[in-house]
Amino acid sequence: MKRSVGQILGRTGIRIPLILWTIAVLYPIFWMFLGSFKSNAEIYRNPWGMPETFNFANFGQAWTNYNIDISVFNSLLITLLGAVLTLVLAIPTAYAIERMNFRGSKVLFTIYISAMMIPMVLGWIPLFFLLDDLNLLDNIFGLAIVYAVSQLPFSIFVLTSFMSTIPKSLEESAAIDGLSPYGILFKIVTPLSMSGIITVTIMNCIQFWNEYFMALIFLQTKTNYTLALAIDYISNEAQYTNAWGTLFASLVIAIVPVIILYGIFQRRIAKGMTEGAIKG
Amino acid sequence: MVQSKKQKYMFLAFCLVPTFILFSIFTLYPLFSGLYYSFFDWSGSSSNKEFIGFANYIKLFKDAIIPDTIMHDYFLVVTKILGIMVLAMFFAVALTQLKIKEAPFYRIVFFFPNIMSVVVIGILWTFIYNPSLGLVNSGLEFLGLEGWAKPWLGDEKWALPSIVLPAVWAGIGLFMLMLMGGIANISKSYYEAARIDGASEWQQFWKITLPLVWPQVKVSILYIVITTLNGSFILVQVMTGGGPNNSTHVMGSYLYQQAFKQYNFGYGATIGVMILVLSLITVLFIQFLMRREKVEY
Repeated sequence: MKRSVGQILGRTGIRIPLILWTIAVLYPIFWMFLGSFKSNAEIYRNPWGMPETFNFANFGQAWTNYNIDISVFNSLLITLLGAVLTLVLAIPTAYAIERMNFRGSKVLFTIYISAMMIPMVLGWIPLFFLLDDLNLLDNIFGLAIVYAVSQLPFSIFVLTSFMSTIPKSLEESAAIDGLSPYGILFKIVTPLSMSGIITVTIMNCIQFWNEYFMALIFLQTKTNYTLALAIDYISNEAQYTNAWGTLFASLVIAIVPVIILYGIFQRRIAKGMTEGAIKG
Repeated sequence: MVQSKKQKYMFLAFCLVPTFILFSIFTLYPLFSGLYYSFFDWSGSSSNKEFIGFANYIKLFKDAIIPDTIMHDYFLVVTKILGIMVLAMFFAVALTQLKIKEAPFYRIVFFFPNIMSVVVIGILWTFIYNPSLGLVNSGLEFLGLEGWAKPWLGDEKWALPSIVLPAVWAGIGLFMLMLMGGIANISKSYYEAARIDGASEWQQFWKITLPLVWPQVKVSILYIVITTLNGSFILVQVMTGGGPNNSTHVMGSYLYQQAFKQYNFGYGATIGVMILVLSLITVLFIQFLMRREKVEY
């Protein structure tokens, strides 16, 4: 079939909005990287162009003046602890809900899933006092537990759907060979659900690394700040000190791990998020 | 399987109980005690917690800021649905229906803002709106429209609409992928038949694509509603803190201010109950509004 002139024009025309949106997405991110190499004077003189030289002074400033190193460490610790704890809690429950026939399994699943749609803001006030009573307020471990529990519904949801694809015969023959249910869960089902486990873990890590509001409420001391809080602090300071370069450097520090994860696991992340959203 | 009932129950308990206990402590209990706290006047210390019945709810109805916060939330809901769905649908159709070689590139780029931290998005866009250095005002100047330049986030009239743009910017990718998933499932034969019958691409979109991706459209809209009512305050908090002069306060940011800045924890919980009730009503209303017989050809 020959293409008419109109169709060829149409093909080119359709690219214009696509290219414009690409620029709208990439340029601010790109520009954030450029800004992190500029001195404050240069940012005022030439806010949107290329930097004159690439110097890393802003990163040093963020590191020394604003203790970004401590915040990065806190964020890493919370992210890893939270992700591990989520798995420890979610894998057995997902398995029991998906494979063990027990009364109330549907109800339990529904309770977990509906929690995804409930606004948690209401719960944050009592949670604040609960953490205080448990001596977990302003505590990195306390926040890691809160994070892990907050991602349980999503993790259980994705893991059950992955486990439902594992053939039952594998578990049955393992049971005949004398493997205990614990053995089946840890030696058969867990390795076979690895793909789902990886997807869930990446999603949770990104979530915890990025999280801001719960950290804002539940952490108070600067030495406990996560990266998101440190950036917020630098941003508020910058209104008076105009240390924009330092602010950009801290934004870059926060976004680089996410870009790396996205670069490696792009398909998994996109799939995980769309599946998590289509639950209605 | 050879195992006693007792062993089976032990294993079930091992799988379910620890998780459910932690879930109850850190999710269920806070939600229910939030309801309970809404009947108290409470500034945080246990000594001055006083039961006041429905007084917080009466205060809620008399509070002049509350109607504004509700309006702002729904303004964000409506503008985000329109902005995201129109653009996401356009991109989804463009990337699936028209044979564009570099489609995967666009897909990867458009999705990325969905996994950026709200703090990064908020601060980045605050700077884009910066009155003297920002991209928006510099762009307007470049186009010779200096008259339109304004301190966007500091302007009572423009601050809230300015928050919509980053929200749409950050949201499109996910919904584009959801719609693309729906479009990919539509059988090619429908389009071939339509083409033979002489239907234009526009007609094909309205008569084939839209009805058949309706389930995805519905899920997307519900998801936007839920995430906006439950989470828009985070972007508001980062970008304006509810200002200038309360012009961007949404329900969640007002709750944060009342509870954690002014220590009216009881009243904050009441606002939380309002958010819960409104989001449930809205979700049910939208499900009713968008019910539509499943289309099959």
